[in-house]
This record gives sequence, structure tokens and C-alpha cells, in this order.
Amino acid sequence: MDVCIYFQVHQPLRLSQYSIFESPMAGERGEYAHKGSRYFDDSLNRQIMEKVAKKCYLPTNALMLELLEKHPEFRVSYSLTGVFMEQCEQFCPEVLDSFSALAKTGRVEFLSETYYHSLSYLFADKDEFIAQIELHSKAISKFATPSKVFRNTEAMFSNDIAYLVERLGYEGILAEGLEHLLGWRSPNYLYTVKGCEKIKALLRNFKLSDDIGYRFSAKWWSEYPLTADKYANWLSSLQGDCVNIFMDYETFGEHHWVDTGIFDFLRHLPAEASRHGNLRFSTPSELVGRIPARDDIDAPQITSWADMERDTSAWLGNEMQTSAFSMLESMGAVVKEKKDPELIRTWRMLGNSDHLYYMCTKSLSDQDVHNYFSPYDSPFDAYINYMNILQDFKAKVEKA
Amino acid sequence: MRIAMPGWEFPPFISGGLGVHCFELTRALCAKGVEIDFFMPVSGKQIEPPCAGLRIIEVAKAELQPYMSFSKSGQRANYGGNLIAAVNEYWKCCEEKVSLCAKEKKYDLLHAHDWLTSRPGATLKKPLGIPLVQTFHSTEFDRTSSPWDYVLEVERAAAQNADLIIAVSNRTREQVCRLGAEQGKIRVVYNGVDSRRFAESQPSQAAIGGFKGGKKVVLFLGRLTEQKGPVQFLHAAKQVLSVEPNTLFVIAGKGELLPLLINMSMSMGISQNVKFLGFVPEEEQRKIYKVADVYVMPSTSEPFGITALEAMASGVPVIISKTSGVAEVAKSAIRVDFWDINMMAQKIVAVLRHAPLSRTMSRLSAREAAECNWKKTADATLRVYEEAVARFNSDSKR
Repeated sequence: MDVCIYFQVHQPLRLSQYSIFESPMAGERGEYAHKGSRYFDDSLNRQIMEKVAKKCYLPTNALMLELLEKHPEFRVSYSLTGVFMEQCEQFCPEVLDSFSALAKTGRVEFLSETYYHSLSYLFADKDEFIAQIELHSKAISKFATPSKVFRNTEAMFSNDIAYLVERLGYEGILAEGLEHLLGWRSPNYLYTVKGCEKIKALLRNFKLSDDIGYRFSAKWWSEYPLTADKYANWLSSLQGDCVNIFMDYETFGEHHWVDTGIFDFLRHLPAEASRHGNLRFSTPSELVGRIPARDDIDAPQITSWADMERDTSAWLGNEMQTSAFSMLESMGAVVKEKKDPELIRTWRMLGNSDHLYYMCTKSLSDQDVHNYFSPYDSPFDAYINYMNILQDFKAKVEKA
Repeated sequence: MRIAMPGWEFPPFISGGLGVHCFELTRALCAKGVEIDFFMPVSGKQIEPPCAGLRIIEVAKAELQPYMSFSKSGQRANYGGNLIAAVNEYWKCCEEKVSLCAKEKKYDLLHAHDWLTSRPGATLKKPLGIPLVQTFHSTEFDRTSSPWDYVLEVERAAAQNADLIIAVSNRTREQVCRLGAEQGKIRVVYNGVDSRRFAESQPSQAAIGGFKGGKKVVLFLGRLTEQKGPVQFLHAAKQVLSVEPNTLFVIAGKGELLPLLINMSMSMGISQNVKFLGFVPEEEQRKIYKVADVYVMPSTSEPFGITALEAMASGVPVIISKTSGVAEVAKSAIRVDFWDINMMAQKIVAVLRHAPLSRTMSRLSAREAAECNWKKTADATLRVYEEAVARFNSDSKR
């Protein structure tokens, strides 16, 4: 049984509180007048980046490095969004250094994704999606070998996405191990995708992933407290070829604070796993290289790892979200015609999926998750601020 | 369960949240089999009990008018000697009448509302040997920036004497604590709204004087007193009009700030776009909500704010002050700081400009208001009654 551990590493680009009553001339005096930097709240972004670096990125990376040095069989994988890497460079360069140190071990894989953590696949014109993947590969190649495995923003996946990604040369793609894709089948195998040639889908085992990601510190949970040996026992007793444990990296120290014991859990996991002869840590590329696909899955609709619905409704579930998104999309062609790299960059930064995520109005428990991550008081405030900025930007683009 | 409830106002004599609350609460409680005797000042008009199980018993011959003008504005200026005399008269007659009725058939509990009816409850609980529940719909701290000692004293005593206290929000709970109430005996029970009555109401241009034209309507509805924030509303209006000139600001309600507000709107140069409706009867209010494009409740201090729920039930997007009790529950509302005029104006402009926003808010507001029904309020109130009786019984056994 191959154990594939993958972490998503991302920090949103939070927006400034943007008032429509500011004098329209006020910004143009600034250094970045038309470049849009005043749309983003650097001080909030710095503050959060520094906080999470201290609580999560730096200590977890240090622990990972220690584990990799101590356990030659240990493997782990990440995907870092481009906007995360940029914020690291800007606010906490030592975080990027620590990822680079992990890369040097040669046993850590960095997956490919969209640079701007965007919903660009959902644009009618797929060129933007492709451009963002290329941008990301370029950024990653500064410290690691670009991967042949792709992970779309928030694990968005479908037959068509897999088909496009395969044409771009990818051999594997991550997806949520949903029952409606699998039917009676298990997520613990690799699958080919309907309509594609040979790209393999790595399906997240959401139960075992969420045991760590969501339930680790849940006192109501019957398995609480979760220990490394218990978890290793569960992994060892699984049927199948591989188990894909995918989650947000902020699980360590941020979603679950240090006093929950989450770091101790991680510290002991490689050793506990190695006590079972049948467990082997692998990177996604290693899985794709050595494990054959057992069957194929059919995903005519887009799935994701977000919310209860596991679809695109976290970003495009209400009218505010769809109208903001289509306004953003419709500006794309005009922005690109201007051939101004800073304008294009600002437009892409405004395409960060988080801006739409904050506008979600689901009434179920998922709303609490959206609120937890949101810098806004309500989804309406998120929409208003985003539209203020987008309209201001649109006016600038038209004038440029 | 049989309840003696000294009350102040009851439809058709409503001047604020208290009357609405008593009407809806007693109706919902009676539907659950609770029997209520509601003791109120003589109204001079026939009041039909809205349901079986509820008796409306008039006490005291005092004129109602002074109390009405009091509760309309809630300002110190109106605390005349007449009012205090009338209140005292009401207290005395109420105590006699409740004692008399208790002899017919024993009550299980006394439930008083606000300081106006608190004294009979406190006086009667011992002789009748039953527990007292006291609801605070507001405190003197909310009603005026210069609280009156006499009222504060009555409120402190009410907080002291009650076996359990109901506060209409966490915000009110804190105010009641300032009165010296023991934190452990306060229960928060939110108000509700009869959403169907508002949802089904028909819009009426006539209700705002046929003034709408092609304009978008921003509505303020409430007493024109400092606490309700009409001054902030006008400042926000000025700012909104600088970018959305085709907007009408409707101010429904009366109160001592009316002359000031009219002068303000003229000196600000926006009187063409501000319409004062004066006092609006309840049925008209429902029609006015329906013509509004956005409802703003900029209260500087609002214990709850039922009108926000009414507007939501009418499908109107609402912008409410963070210093209101309803802000604790209304997820479909936009919350602002009452002093942040710039932000308030921005949110108003956004709702006027962005149809996707106003449609989403409208849809969610109507849905949420339907969930905030009086049955829930009655259920929670009944649980407080039961707890009060249980605590009282175990205390008296000790």
C-alpha cells in the first residue's frame, strides 16, 4: 500500500477596503497609480503571512526536513500557489528557503497548478488557464523540478479538465474521491479518465484525509484523540494499491493549534508507518509511474474538494458570484489587448478564487467554514468591495 | 400554565416593539395552551383578544394619551409629572386587579414587561407565592443618553426582584447587567416576525405620497429620536446623492427630532430628495416596506430592532447598525457602524446599483425572516417560564 501525502499551500490576496467615495484622482498620484497595488491590503496580507509562517509553515517545514533526514523512506508532496510564493518573497523569504531545503532532499514533489489560484479553467477561452499553468511551472522551477502531476485550483476536476491537462503533457491529476465518481469502487486505486488516453487520476481518500484535516482536534469524535500508531494501523489495514491523503498545509499549527498535539502526530507518523511492512510513502509521480490504473472514471460535471456539494458552488453558487465572475472574465480580452504586464497581473490577481469564495451564501454548516476564512463581515460586504475594485479597475483599463 | 401579565400597550395601541411583542407573544403562547390574563391601562376603545386563552383586563382609569406620547419619543422631556402619577395609579390598580383575579383561579407565574409594568410583579410575587419573570425590551440606557434616575431606580429594582430575566438580545443582556442583575438569571430570547403578513402586503406608491417617480427608495422607519440615528441617515443620504442623484430618502415616523431633521435636509441642500411621512399606521408601514429598495436602521443603540425583521420579511435588503440586537441574528443583513457615514453610504449605493446583490439579499432576507417566527420566541419564553417555576419550587422546598 503506497501512502501519498499531499499538502495545498496557499494564502489569498486580501483586498483593501475600497471606497467609491475616494476622489477618482487620489490614486493616480501614487507610485503604482494604474497598477492596482492599492487594491490589495499589503499590511493585512503581511500580518497573516507572518502569523501563519510562525505557527505553521516554518515549524512544519522544519519538522518535515527532520523527518526526511531521519527516515529515508519518507516522502511528501506539495503544491504552492504562485501568489503564495510571491507573498513569501515579499513578507517572509525564509519560508520559501525552507521549502527549497525540502526540495533539495529529492524526496519532496511540488505539483503543478494555476499560478493565481484561479477559476481560469471555467473561462470559455482556455488560453488563460494554460498561461497560468506555465507561469506556475516557471516559478516552481526556480527551486524544484516541475512535476508531471497537476492539481487544479481546489481540486476541480472533470473529464474535460483531465483531457486538456493531458494534452499539456501531464501524466497525473488530483481529484476528490467522490462516491458519485466511484460508485462501489474504492478511491485507493488509480483510475484513467473517460475520454482521455492515459492520464491517471489520484483520488483523495476524504475520510482518512479529513480525520486529520478536520477531525483531529474534535473532542466529539469517537476516535479522539488520534494518534500516529492508530492512524498507521488504519492505513495498514486498507485494501487497494495506494491511499491519497490530501489536505491544506495550514492543518498543522493553524487549523489545529500546536497544543492539540498535531505536530507530535506528524512527528511519529513515519516511524509508526514503517512498523507495518506493507506501507510505503510515495510521491504522486512515483504512484503514476509504478501503479497501473485499474478502471476508468467518468466525471462529466466538475467536482472539487470544497463544501458539502464538492462542486463549483462554493465560488459560483449565487448570483453575486456568477455576475462578478463573468464581469472579470469579460474584461480579460480588453486587458490583454493593452499589452501592459501590470494590468494583466492585476486582472489575474483579481481572479484569485478566494474573492468569490467570500461571497458564498450557503446556509448550512459550510457557511461557517467560509466565514472562518473570510476577512469580511458578510458575503455582501465581500461582493461590494470586490465590485468597487473591479469597476475601478475596469475604468482604468478602458483609459489605459 | 396560567400567567398574569401586566402589560403596557396592545394593538391597536401600538407605539413600538413592546406592543408588537406582547400581541405576538401572547398569541403564540395561547396557541400552545398557555392561559394569559393581560392587565393594561384603560384604552377607551374595545380591544378584541386575538385568540382563545387570552383575556384583556383593563385597569386604572388614567388617560392613555400621556403614556402614548411618552412611549413615542422615549425622551426625558416627556417624563412629565402626569406620567409618573398615571404610572403609579396604574401600578396600584393593577396590583388590586391581579390579586382579585388570582382569587378566582391561581396563577402559576407573573410576567412583566419593562419598567412600566415591573412594580406590580415585584409587589405581588410574595403574596401570591409565585415566581416573577421580567422582560427587558430596552433599558433607560438605550432610551436616552442622559438616563433619568427615577426610571433607573425602578429598573434596578425590577432586575433585582425577578426570578428570571428575559433580555431581547445579548446587547440588552449587557445593559441589564449594568442595572445590577445577576448574569446567571438572564436568558436571551429574540423577537420574531409574522413574516407572512409582510410578504403578502401589496406595495403602494400612495403610501409614500406617490412621490417615488422613477427613483430608488431608501427607507428609514422609526421614532425620530437620537437613539434611532435619523441624523446619521441624513448624512449618509447626502453622500449617496452625490453619486446616485436619482434616489429618494423616505423617513417614516415622528419624534422630537423632526423639526431639526427638516432643517438639516434643507441646509444640506437635499430636501428635494428627502420625504418626511410623519407617523405611519401599521398597515401603511407594510405597504411602505414594499416600495423600498433598501431599508436602513442606523440606530446608535437598539435593544433589538423588530423593524429590520419586518423589512426582511417584506423582501427588502437591510442595512443595520452593529449596535443593535437584531445584528446578532440577521445573517442576511449588512452590518455597519452607525458613526461610519462613508461606509453606510457605500453600502446603500451598492445595494441600489448592483441588482445581483439586492436580489440575493432580498431572497435570503425573506427566507431568514420566515425562520424568525414568533412561535420560536414563544417556545423559548415558555422554557423560561418552566425554568422559573422549577427553580421557584425547589427554592421554596429548601
